[in-house]
Amino acid sequence: MKLKTASKLPALLTVVEAQPLTDLAEVELKGCYISDLLSDVLANAQPGVLWVTIQIHRNVLSVASMKDITAVLFTCGRKPEPAVIAEAAEKGIMLLSTPLTTYETAGKLWKAGLR
Amino acid sequence: MTQGVPAEKKKAAARVETKTNGHKRFKSAQARVAVAAHQPLIVPGTTIKTGNSEEPMPPAPAIEKTPSLGEKRQVSFAQMLVFELRVRDAMTSPPITATATDSLRSIQNLMQAHRISGVPILTEDVLVGIVSIEDIINALDEGHINDPVEKWMSRKIVTLRDHFSLVRAVAEFDRHGYGRFPVLDANNRLVGVITRGDITVCLMHQLERRAEEAVAKEAALAATRAADEKAHRVVFNTHVKSGDFESAGKLSQRIREVLRARGIAPDILRRAAIIAYEAETNIIIHSIGGRITTAIDSVKIRIRAVDGGPGIENVDLAMQEGWSTAGPLARELGFGAGMGLPNIKRCADEFSIQSELGGGTRLQAAVFLHKVETKL
Repeated sequence: MKLKTASKLPALLTVVEAQPLTDLAEVELKGCYISDLLSDVLANAQPGVLWVTIQIHRNVLSVASMKDITAVLFTCGRKPEPAVIAEAAEKGIMLLSTPLTTYETAGKLWKAGLR
Repeated sequence: MTQGVPAEKKKAAARVETKTNGHKRFKSAQARVAVAAHQPLIVPGTTIKTGNSEEPMPPAPAIEKTPSLGEKRQVSFAQMLVFELRVRDAMTSPPITATATDSLRSIQNLMQAHRISGVPILTEDVLVGIVSIEDIINALDEGHINDPVEKWMSRKIVTLRDHFSLVRAVAEFDRHGYGRFPVLDANNRLVGVITRGDITVCLMHQLERRAEEAVAKEAALAATRAADEKAHRVVFNTHVKSGDFESAGKLSQRIREVLRARGIAPDILRRAAIIAYEAETNIIIHSIGGRITTAIDSVKIRIRAVDGGPGIENVDLAMQEGWSTAGPLARELGFGAGMGLPNIKRCADEFSIQSELGGGTRLQAAVFLHKVETKL
C-alpha cells in the first residue's frame, strides 16, 4: 500500500521537496532512471519512468518524448528556460525541480519505495 | 489536300479564280531562251526581299481554319505549333516530279494517279519549272496536251526553304496566293512540295500527338502516385546544421508522428526515432553540417545521414561504447556519451557506416516495420 502511494507522482513531490514546473497529473510511475547522458537514457531508460537529471537543455524533452518518459526531475535546484517548460507542457511531459542533489534524491526515492 | 480536277470538268474548273503557282504560260521568246539555256528562275521566299533583311514576323495565321480548335487554350497551342514546326515537318516528301521532256499528257496521268494538282519539273535534278492542273486544263482545251512540258510550264517559281517555320509558309501562301510551293533544302535541291492542306494535316497530327503525350504523361504520374500511395511511401530531406543543438529532435518527432499515424508498434517507432536522433546529433556535434534522408514505406524506414566532413579517423573506435571526441559544450549538454553510433547500431535492423578522415561520413540504417522486437 505504501509502495503504491510512493510511486504516484504528486505524492513523491513532498518526499524530495520538489516543486512542479508543469501541471501534474495523478500518474503511476513505472520506475526511475538517473543519467545526465542523453544517449545513455536513449539506450537504457524504460518507458513510463521518472528521469532524474541535472540536464535542463531542450534536448532532454526530445529524449524524454522519444522514450515516453512520464516525468523529468531536475536536481540541484536547476530549472529549464520558460520556453522549454512550455514545450514540455505541449508534449505532455511533466517537469519537476528539487533543491536536493542527485544522490540525495535517489536515496529518498528509493527509500520511499520507487523501484 | 487539293485534288486533281477531272478533265470532263475542265470548263467549270477553268472558271475557278484560284491563282496557283506556275500558272502563267510563257509564250514570249525570252522564256523559250530560258528553257533552252536551262536557267531556272528560282525565287526562294527568302530572297524576295534583300538577302540579309530581318523580315518582320508574319502575322499569326488564320488558325480558325484548323479543325477542332474551339477552345481558346487550344488555339494558342496551335499558334505555338506553327512557330515551332518547320516546312520540312509538313511537306510531302519525296515530291512527285517529271522531267522537262515529258508530255503534258503524262503529267495529267501523274496528277490523276497521285491525286495532286501540281508537279515540279526537273532537268538533271535541278528545278526548272512547275505545271499546275490549270495548265493541263488549258492544254486539253487548246489541243496541245501531247506537247513536251518545257513548252508550257511555268518558270517563274517561288519556292520555300525546308527550314522555314510553318507560320512563314502560311504567310507566303497568303502573299502569293499559290496552291503549293516546291521546297528546297540548303543546297537548292528539291526535297518536297507543300500545300495549305499539308499544313493543316501536319498541325492536326501534331495536336493529336501532343494530346496523346500529355495524356500518357498524366497517366504515368498518376501511376507513380498510386504506387507511392500503395507502398505508403513518404520521403523527407532534412538539412542539419553544425552546432544547432536547438533543432535536434525535430526530425525524430516527425518520424514518430508518421509512424504513429500508421499504427506502428511503439518499440519499432522508438528505435527509428532514436536512430534519427543520434544521427542528427552526430552531425550537429561532430560535422560541418549534413543532410538526413528519411524514406518510409510499408516495409521499412530507411534513414540515410550524410555529412560534409571532417570524417571519422577510426570508425571501429567510434563504434565502441564510451568513446567520444565531443567537445566540452556538447558534453555539458549531455551529449558525447560515446553511445551514439552503438545506439544506432543496436536499434537498426540494417546498419552501415563509411567514413574517411578529410572526407564525409555516410551512415545508413533501416528498421523493418513489420517485425516487432523489444530491444529497447
